Amino acid sequence: MGRRISPVLVVPMENDLIIQTKALTKSYGPHMALEDLNLSIPRGATGLLGQNGAGKSTFLKTILGLIQATSGEGTVLGYDIKTQGVEIRQRIGYMPEYDALNPGMDAIHQVRYSGELLGMNPVVAMSRAHEALQFVGIGEQRYRDIGSFSTGMKQATKLACAIIHDPALVIADEPSNGLDMKTREFMISTLNTMVNDGQRSVLMASHLMDDVERVCENIVLLHKGRLAAQGKIEDLKAIDREIEIHVWGGATPLEQRMKDSGLTVRREGRVMRIAHTQEDTTRLILQAASEVGAQIRQMHEYEASLEDLFLTIMDNLGYTVKSSEDLLRGKSEARRVDAPESLGGSGA
Amino acid sequence: MSDSKELTPEAPVTGKARMDVAWGANTGDETNASTNVASTAQSGEIFEQEYTQWNGILNPRWMRNWAILRHHLLGIFKKGHRPWSMPTRIFILIAFLASLGDAAMTLLASLIGSAEVHSWFGVNRDNLYAHVLGFFPRNVLWYPIVAALLVGGVISEDRHHGTSALYFSRPVSRFDYIGMKYLSVVLIQSFVVLLTYLIYFLAEILAFGRGWSWMIDVFPMFLAGLIAGMILIVTYTSLGLSLSSVSRGRFFPGIGLLAIVFGTKTLASIVKNLFEREILYLLSPYDCVAHVGQAIIGTQPTYDQYPWTYSLVSLVAMNAAALYILATRVSSMEVTRE
Repeated sequence: MGRRISPVLVVPMENDLIIQTKALTKSYGPHMALEDLNLSIPRGATGLLGQNGAGKSTFLKTILGLIQATSGEGTVLGYDIKTQGVEIRQRIGYMPEYDALNPGMDAIHQVRYSGELLGMNPVVAMSRAHEALQFVGIGEQRYRDIGSFSTGMKQATKLACAIIHDPALVIADEPSNGLDMKTREFMISTLNTMVNDGQRSVLMASHLMDDVERVCENIVLLHKGRLAAQGKIEDLKAIDREIEIHVWGGATPLEQRMKDSGLTVRREGRVMRIAHTQEDTTRLILQAASEVGAQIRQMHEYEASLEDLFLTIMDNLGYTVKSSEDLLRGKSEARRVDAPESLGGSGA
Repeated sequence: MSDSKELTPEAPVTGKARMDVAWGANTGDETNASTNVASTAQSGEIFEQEYTQWNGILNPRWMRNWAILRHHLLGIFKKGHRPWSMPTRIFILIAFLASLGDAAMTLLASLIGSAEVHSWFGVNRDNLYAHVLGFFPRNVLWYPIVAALLVGGVISEDRHHGTSALYFSRPVSRFDYIGMKYLSVVLIQSFVVLLTYLIYFLAEILAFGRGWSWMIDVFPMFLAGLIAGMILIVTYTSLGLSLSSVSRGRFFPGIGLLAIVFGTKTLASIVKNLFEREILYLLSPYDCVAHVGQAIIGTQPTYDQYPWTYSLVSLVAMNAAALYILATRVSSMEVTRE
């Protein structure tokens, strides 16, 4: 594929860090859950990415001070993860991925109780619970039993529980998981409002790259307990810039000609993406098209999505990850659906 | 039969008023330039999302622990706290009222002036023992069932609903979590067992005008009964919560506790009757508490083949094992996934 991305990408960030780890390692017997993790997560929104078993949960538990790191050190909001777990958990809001609500309670009292567990006065907690539920969009349903809530309303209630004390950092584990399009949009905009208007930081673990991209400006990618990439999404994408062209006629000669010119070309039918590694890439493409007589109908800078970036990094690490496009791109024969026998087909 | 008319150009236009309402009163000859678009309504957002900051004070550990305790205790009485099931609440009320039976009979004895009724139900060594440790009906129908209903979901439902994450992602330690849950179950049982015991004692004082000398005289017995009741509650709670911690449902811990209490008691009883050996009662939590209770209150012991210290050692071992299981299981409860 010709992509040159080192296994560990580190793009320098501002010195305003909310989470910092140095050589953080956590092992369960012979299994290394986290290995030599050097992280620097700045204020703002950061996406925590990684496949199942990458170490995301272990990382979250370690920075919450719930499990002791085997070696290395780290701070969250300036507090030591080894000795100041209580202080950390008091200052962050954690929104778990899985159900963490009592279905027999109504939302307002559930959120109030979560505030009381942080040490809030009951009256103050109740007042803040109203505000938090209003903010997450279920103010009108706050006296309904959680057992009757939809998935989106439960997610919103969990977020309200996490933000009742206005924490400096909200850790949201799969916040848009299982939501329909409308509630997913609302969840994304709510997180964005917290980051942009509320000036709060969010660490968002998610499998939905699109959501991470819309909320976060930074990502941390873990793979098998090790850091695979971290930095600003824009910067990481820029490492792998491409130019996309749509060709009419002579695509194969053009592809060959461009490769001969030293360009790195990926082709899918009449759409080609050429690595934008040098200043005169555009000129070389046009020159090649001119020489072989191919028409270039469209030509633009291809903006890679976060999913592209994720796939590329995983590819560089030697893992084949199926993207949604891959799943649709199987052999046409495999997707063939024949007409029923009554209409002259084989009935397959 | 309908009065049909032929629709010719000269025919009158009927229903004009309704058409005017529907389409407006204009003639239809207006120029395009002067036409107003009727639909000028804008889609407004009633919901305005605004993040409000908070700069309040978070209280220390004791306040967090008090919140857990209050959440569980007040849940018995009102909504907005831990949602104890309605059967649990109703049964606690029934057990509470039933446990006041001896107090009521003491008042009745005072009212009718019957020394015989008072000798059956009034405060004495045997009746004080019977109030907390009598097998039938209190330790068959009331106290173990109250304990089973309470411990059923206290920890297992946190595991089931994932609400353990709500605790452990906050500055609540596992020790505080277990401690407060344990204390809340103990206090609710105390409401049924020990509060009624106090009321019983108070009823005797008020109804029969007992003076200080009587109170000082009876106080050691009363205190011994109180301690015996505490041992009973603690034992049931330890066993019940350990079962709750290994489960994800409400049924297993409750039925498991009843099975242990009644199963071991039945087994010990069968072995005793068949082989005239009492040793197996050391496996029965109720029998051990009863034996220790009889010793400290000073009533006639039912178990006389072995010293009461055996039962005490057995009780300590049972509680220690139960607490070990409880601590181990709670320490393995997850925050990120359960």
